[in-house]
Amino acid sequence: MLRVENLVTAYGKIKALRGVTLEAREGEVTCLLGPNGAGKTTTMFSIAGILRPTSGDITLDGESLRGLGAARVVGKGVALVPENRLVFPQMTVSDNLHAGAFSRRDDRKRQRDMEKIYQRFPVLRERSRQPAGTLSGGEQQMLAIARALMARPRILLMDEPSIGLAPIIVAEIFRIIAEINREGVSILLVEQNARMALKFAHRLYLIQQGEITFSGTPDELGQDEVIQRSYLGG
Amino acid sequence: MTDFLQNCIDGVMIGSSYALLALGFTIIFGVMRRLNLSFGPTIMLGAFGGAWLYLHFNINPWLVLLACIVFTVAAGVYVERLCFNAIKRNVAITSMVSSFVIWMQLEEIAIHILPDRTSPFPPLFASLSFEAGPFYVRSEYLFMFAVAVAAVFAVERILHRTWFGLRLRAVAEDPRAAAYMGINAGRVSVYAFVLVSVLGAVAGYLILAADQQVTPFFGLWATFKGLIAMMLGGMGSLPGAIIGGLLLGVIETQSLWYFGNEYKDLAAYLVLFLMLIARPGGIMGQRLVERRRLAFRRV
Repeated sequence: MLRVENLVTAYGKIKALRGVTLEAREGEVTCLLGPNGAGKTTTMFSIAGILRPTSGDITLDGESLRGLGAARVVGKGVALVPENRLVFPQMTVSDNLHAGAFSRRDDRKRQRDMEKIYQRFPVLRERSRQPAGTLSGGEQQMLAIARALMARPRILLMDEPSIGLAPIIVAEIFRIIAEINREGVSILLVEQNARMALKFAHRLYLIQQGEITFSGTPDELGQDEVIQRSYLGG
Repeated sequence: MTDFLQNCIDGVMIGSSYALLALGFTIIFGVMRRLNLSFGPTIMLGAFGGAWLYLHFNINPWLVLLACIVFTVAAGVYVERLCFNAIKRNVAITSMVSSFVIWMQLEEIAIHILPDRTSPFPPLFASLSFEAGPFYVRSEYLFMFAVAVAAVFAVERILHRTWFGLRLRAVAEDPRAAAYMGINAGRVSVYAFVLVSVLGAVAGYLILAADQQVTPFFGLWATFKGLIAMMLGGMGSLPGAIIGGLLLGVIETQSLWYFGNEYKDLAAYLVLFLMLIARPGGIMGQRLVERRRLAFRRV
């Protein structure tokens, strides 16, 4: 469904992505693994329309997203859950959720979506009038995910959802991700937490220094000894 | 005691217009994280536009008010395009300097529109003053106060009950996250300038109508009043802007009454000076400073 082909994105003269090609299939969890500075976030930002790629193409069901800009990419059904959550700390939880629904104007549908989200995340309903900054890290991550869901995405881009969270919370977040995926939202996940990624992803890509160096299923990755050793600690 | 209270009443009423000016600065500072020095001059230019129409076509004062708003909005959007939209976020100082340059330009334009420098300015209705117990109230100040209160409520509603307000708050809080949500910060900033220009024009009209005249120095005056009120109340805080404006009004009327006209501005600067030493964040800004301090401790 989402295809990235030969994507090159540069910061000034430095090429952060040197021809990245990957595909996130409909209904699957696709995971992009890689060390710090490999280009994971750059890939996400390029897809989301926040960064402008120098060459290559990004297509959603054959329709190009390249150069549309963030607002229109969200409108096409691609929503981003940014790294470090980036909720609006002084705005209430419910305002944060509304902020995710900018691409849509239909009040009644939005209200229905809010209701659905509160059912999925009861803790957000409890705290709906509280400033988002008063939530715990795990709750803020849930809010960031919920906010992205308010855009009714067909594919969710998640940038390191486990960062800075306790293991038990990470497990909870991944349970939620799997649940969202089962309901039909495709997911492109960036992770450093390889164990979690292996458990949940249908398809994996390994990115190193701006290039994809491996692609396959978690089983195939498990068979590759070199990667096993360097990424999963033997 | 009666004098003191009378001064407080006058001060609050005059201060309500300062509060509107401070709100204008605060909203733009919140959204852009940059100071728009030419806010006052855009209002002055709007007022000159209104005064010009009044002089040449003798239009109704309500139409003068409308003209002030239209001209101020046009000048405000001009400033936004030139000093803010065209300049990147990370070079905030450039915006400030260029807004100062545009200030000079706007003053020149005003002088060319009406070379007499001082122009008559029409009030909406004849001035009356009436008694309320031991106190006197001037009708134009009461009207100023009423309009300012209505404007503050309108702003509150716009910020908290509309899509535009939600966008504006999102951009003010975290421009990066807002961009990721697909919020077009450029459009938000234009609308924010339109909003504050309307506020500023209304405040400017009320002040000038009470004085019944306008000079090109009104731009400088309005920028000063707005900035001082904002700093007293606390940078970036909307309630702070209102409190700062009212406080500035009261300080001015008290010092005018007890020390005389030449000490009016001096007293205001003195209070600002003391405030910057004792509570650099302003009245409402302190909480922000503390929160930041707490955040550091957590790290």
